[in-house]
Amino acid sequence: MENILLFSPEIILAVTAIVVLFTGLFLKTEHKSVLGYIAVAGVIISMALTLSIMLSMTTASMFYGTMVIDSLSQLFKLIFLSVALLVSIASIKYVSGSRNTEEFYSLMLLAVIGMMVVSSSNDLITLFVGFELAGLATYALVGFEKKNIVLLEASMKYFIIGALSSALILFGMSYVYGMTGTTSIPGIAENASLLAESPIGLAAVVLLIAGFGYKMALVPFHMWAPDTYQGASPVISALLAGASKKMGFIAAFKVIIVALIALSADWRTIFAVLAVITMTLGNVVALTQTSVKRMLAYSSVAQAGYIAMAFVVLTPTALAGGILYIMSHAFMKAGAFIAVGIVGFMVLLGNREARNVDHIDNFKGLAKRMPLTAFSLMVFLFALAGIPATAGFVSKFVLFASTIEAGLVWLAVIAILNSAISLFYYARVVKYMYFMPAEGGRVSEPAPFAVAMIIALAAVLIIGIWPEPFIYWATEAAKVLLI
Amino acid sequence: MNIGDIAFLIPLLPALAFVVTLFFGKKMYSGGALLPIGAIGASFIISLLITINLLQNPDQVIHQSVHWFAVFNLGILIDPLAAVMLTMVSFVSLLIHIYAIGYMEHDPSKPRYFAETSLFTAAMLGVVLSDNILQMFIFWELVGLCSYLLIGFWYQKPSAAAAAKKAFLTTRVGDIMFLAGIIILFASMFQAFNGEIPEGVYLLQFSEMFNSIDALSGMTATIFGMEVGHLTLIALLFFGGAVGKSGQFPLHVWLPDAMEGPTTVSALIHAATMVTAGVYLVARTFPMFLAAPDALLVVAYIGGFTALFAATMGLVMNDIKRVLAYSTVSQLGYMVLGLGMGAAVGLEAIGVSVFHLINHAFFKALLFLCAGSVIHAVGTQDMRQMGGLGKAMPVTAVTMLIASLALAGFGIPGTAVGTSGFFSKDAIIETAFVFGEHTHDWIPYIFAILAALLTSIYIFRLFFMTFSGKSRSKTKAHESPSIMTVPLMILAAFSLLFGALTIKPFINFMEQTFENNVISLNIEHLATLGNYNLVQEHGHEPLLILWLPVIVAVAGLVISYLLYYKQVIDISKVVSRQNPVYRLLYNRYYQHRILTELLATRIVYETISLSADFFDRKFIDSIVDGTGKVTMSTGNVLRRIQTGVIQNYVTAVIAGVGLLIVLLKLIVEVL
Repeated sequence: MENILLFSPEIILAVTAIVVLFTGLFLKTEHKSVLGYIAVAGVIISMALTLSIMLSMTTASMFYGTMVIDSLSQLFKLIFLSVALLVSIASIKYVSGSRNTEEFYSLMLLAVIGMMVVSSSNDLITLFVGFELAGLATYALVGFEKKNIVLLEASMKYFIIGALSSALILFGMSYVYGMTGTTSIPGIAENASLLAESPIGLAAVVLLIAGFGYKMALVPFHMWAPDTYQGASPVISALLAGASKKMGFIAAFKVIIVALIALSADWRTIFAVLAVITMTLGNVVALTQTSVKRMLAYSSVAQAGYIAMAFVVLTPTALAGGILYIMSHAFMKAGAFIAVGIVGFMVLLGNREARNVDHIDNFKGLAKRMPLTAFSLMVFLFALAGIPATAGFVSKFVLFASTIEAGLVWLAVIAILNSAISLFYYARVVKYMYFMPAEGGRVSEPAPFAVAMIIALAAVLIIGIWPEPFIYWATEAAKVLLI
Repeated sequence: MNIGDIAFLIPLLPALAFVVTLFFGKKMYSGGALLPIGAIGASFIISLLITINLLQNPDQVIHQSVHWFAVFNLGILIDPLAAVMLTMVSFVSLLIHIYAIGYMEHDPSKPRYFAETSLFTAAMLGVVLSDNILQMFIFWELVGLCSYLLIGFWYQKPSAAAAAKKAFLTTRVGDIMFLAGIIILFASMFQAFNGEIPEGVYLLQFSEMFNSIDALSGMTATIFGMEVGHLTLIALLFFGGAVGKSGQFPLHVWLPDAMEGPTTVSALIHAATMVTAGVYLVARTFPMFLAAPDALLVVAYIGGFTALFAATMGLVMNDIKRVLAYSTVSQLGYMVLGLGMGAAVGLEAIGVSVFHLINHAFFKALLFLCAGSVIHAVGTQDMRQMGGLGKAMPVTAVTMLIASLALAGFGIPGTAVGTSGFFSKDAIIETAFVFGEHTHDWIPYIFAILAALLTSIYIFRLFFMTFSGKSRSKTKAHESPSIMTVPLMILAAFSLLFGALTIKPFINFMEQTFENNVISLNIEHLATLGNYNLVQEHGHEPLLILWLPVIVAVAGLVISYLLYYKQVIDISKVVSRQNPVYRLLYNRYYQHRILTELLATRIVYETISLSADFFDRKFIDSIVDGTGKVTMSTGNVLRRIQTGVIQNYVTAVIAGVGLLIVLLKLIVEVL
């Protein structure tokens, strides 16, 4: 008996999305902030349900084996929902006064549903559908401010590269289906020897990596990311970096690690090369950025490089480390983008016509002007750099330690050197915030932004100080990948 | 509800008070002083209730622990030793905080002061109730940090900033040793478990450490050709930590300089927190010392030597707080000596040593607060400019006299009449005698008895110079407000009575520290591991031995009376630059020259640091700078690839796919 209630989190979100959309039609613009609260409530209920399913350790295979419920899927759903929570809280301020609030929230909820479908899917078709649902919704979200030319450009670039990547993924999937005769992920794994013997298998793997690499922002498929992250509004960047990018990882975990494990010798090499190039290029280019948002975008590229190490090492600990990293990164990066959003808000408050609001000069003396934001951003940046007592340290530690354990010392050394480089540009922002004189007076943070930021801050510190349960769940999730 | 369930509040409340006072103190009454006072008061009440409960039900030792990460835990252990310490620390700290309302009245940065002292107290309470040595070390470091902040409280004064730095760096030497001890301990225990640690076992918990003593005692290492047991090594490294924090020779140099902070901070450091942490560490890990050959002897000699050495310097200081500082060093020497006497008397050593620690906390806090009261009144710390203050400040004078009598150890042996210092110091001197009789090693006893004589001389010198004779001060002295004198009177009552009322039950109570529902050890067995031959029965010392400490104390008083009150000989003739002995003492045995100028400046700084600096600048830096430059310029080149033109991006994706296939093909061909 298939228990449809196991998908109640998705159903709740879908209902919320529809309710928000229709309620919005009947509300005046100034009353539309209530939609944000409805969305937040929906996300929270959905989170609670997901958590309860995860804690009960339920596993199920449904809809003729195309969807599964296991600790991996539930953990990723929780990550997506947490980011959605942060983003929807912060957006209460961002979209206030917009005529299209209902569209914003329903698009965001639909994107999250798409991501959740990906994390539950056990079949190439459902996976692709979820992938596209999330993709289409986020394309629209990036271009949400229709009159802002920068946003439209960002959205356009994101969409074109996205369409190309979807084509690559489909192309790769069609090869896989052609060789193995099935779209079911376990089915492919069984017949993967057929793929491994043929050169077409190689082509399929490369196409799939390229397609998913676009979402994961691996070099050289990353080029949309800096432009889009910089152009989009900070809350959307938080959604892209915190959740959408992680969908790329879970999809790659499922299709590449689970289905194509027989070709691991090939794709491990590819990922080794990609990981090294990605982290190095991301960090090196981030060094010279003057826009904090763009710097965060490159740092996000670099972090993808670290996470990709999990594919190379491929031990249970490494995968657990990768998943833990994905979890931590979701909070650190989303938190950092929200903090940057607050700074942008502060700058615009002073001068409505201000441009380049995320320029590093705007962060001068932030500790005096907005102590809470400055402190939180400092914690997020230090977490991204991997300073102890933060989530970033714990996940780096587990991941790098597993790399060394597996004998890939060279890879660990490159990763650690990269971390050292990254500290430079993170610390530079902290220097601007704490050691430069302030220009302008004290500004108080808008409550929704502050609440979202504090939640992210708490998560980063809790994972950093009390990592045991998180490591446990990451390990449980990793077990699903390596049967 | 069980009182143990809220034990975690003991350090937590002052820590919370720290946060609130730091941020909101400015807006609160009296710089937010009341909040720390309330928090520490609550901690005191909880500690007191726990102690009373433990006295009635010795098997209700509180032990709680939660898993932290890997093989470490966070936990609370309140056994008799910890309970007594908690009560004392919170009580003395409470009185000092109340007194500080008056003392710090005119200071503009009061909120910072109260926040930091509150954190200081919280850290010390944390040290005391930790159930594992790692957690203890974390709080231990926090204590060090707070002492740095508080000694340098008036950081605008260069001397205060320098003293804070000195205290921090000197204790750091000990802290490193302590940490090294923990690391060696962990490695040895890991080895003892063969690397397989069962679920729920935390290596660094005190109970687990003590259970592993048998396994550890078999391990040895060779250092400079000498065979040293791991246990001895660990115990001595721990003791190194104690030497730093508790101001034992040769790391005592920071303590007299630590006078640069407010006097209340000195009282807190010298009586309640900080310096007692070292003694507490040794007492806490005493079973390890007992099972470690030679460790206790090192402890005894260092303690005895420090007691005498510091007392000689106390004789000639003119700064009232400096005399008290050397007195603290000397009295800590007694406590450490007492612990070392465990070589002969076993667990009783903890009893006598901690008993002295508690009594010392009362009378030393009192001495400092009296000194603070005097300084508050005359505005100088130089005793040569005081004198005749007894009439103007009667309460201070009387309480100071009581504290002095307690420090010198006045009392009548064989009766219940005596100051608290008498009972505890005598107990230590007596165990030193037992040790001497038992091992024919009389050095600790001689150190102890000579130091007793000097103690009596220097403290009454201080008393007579300050309170008797003619006034040498220009300002008109006045008695301090009652917010300051009431704590003095409370402390005076304790200095006078605590010893007589509690000595027997106290020492018995302490012995239960290692014999209860959480930790139960076979002391005889441990002593055999450490090659110590314990005395079974004692207490029949000759009458002369019982009276000797009192006799030397009275002798000291008489000498001081003749010299500084009656002035039978002209002191200024002795006290002159021509007298080599005086010069040696006044220059504090040239420690500053030897340790700071020669060792620290010449050898470490000029020779090692500067040459390392040269290497670093010329060689390492150019590599680092070069790497930085190359990386930055690479970044500049690479960012140009990001053109913003979407066609280029698409090309990159397709090229990436192509390159990956080529790469894979190559690998397939080559392999």
